[in-house]
Amino acid sequence: MLIMIRAIVRPEKADAVLAALMDAGFPAVTKYSVAGRGKQRGIKIGEVTYDEIPKTMLMSVINEEDKDFVINTIMNTARSGAKGAFGDGKIFISDVECAYTISSGVKEGAEVEA
Amino acid sequence: MKEVIAIVRMNMMNQTKKALTEAGVDAFFAHEATGRGKGFVNPQVLAGAEEGYEEAASLLGEKGKLYPKRVITIVVDDDFVDTVVDTIVTTNKTGKPGDGKIFVLPIKNAVRVRTGDAGMKAIS
Repeated sequence: MLIMIRAIVRPEKADAVLAALMDAGFPAVTKYSVAGRGKQRGIKIGEVTYDEIPKTMLMSVINEEDKDFVINTIMNTARSGAKGAFGDGKIFISDVECAYTISSGVKEGAEVEA
Repeated sequence: MKEVIAIVRMNMMNQTKKALTEAGVDAFFAHEATGRGKGFVNPQVLAGAEEGYEEAASLLGEKGKLYPKRVITIVVDDDFVDTVVDTIVTTNKTGKPGDGKIFVLPIKNAVRVRTGDAGMKAIS
């Protein structure tokens, strides 16, 4: 079973997460910039509320058995300070039915293994 | 209902758009991204770099470099997934590493904002 991990992290932490994933043996990642707010409704500084805070989205599709390891790797690297802080981001997991590599046309996923 | 997420080369977008329209996919969403894959390299280049040719070594580049890509997201009916995947694979295939990936994810529901139609009505 394949799963897709989408992690929203601080832009300044993205490079560290990418390096950590590379060292952990998960090189394949897609990265793009997003903007958003979380449970804290943005950041209020004086009278101004910033509710479109820039973040980086990292997307990776991995095998389900590696799920916990990859999540822990991302979480430990993306956390700021020892305790973490608001705005460190979120990780979402979704099921992937199958994945195709375009260059070879190889199909991976649940249907192939079954 | 399935969501097809395809990561393709930047310069293939026009061809892909054309091919998808011809295949009957009218609606899709795309955005830019950067990414890396498994990092496979041409074995000939790798052999050259190991033998100490500087040209080959410079072709390899640094490990973990992120390349610009386009991400296409299409939501289609279950029966249509194979057509969409085939279209994207045949248009984008050059046979070299870096052609991209296609992921198929299940989607629970879709709603058209204009009319409020839900389910299959929203995507057909």
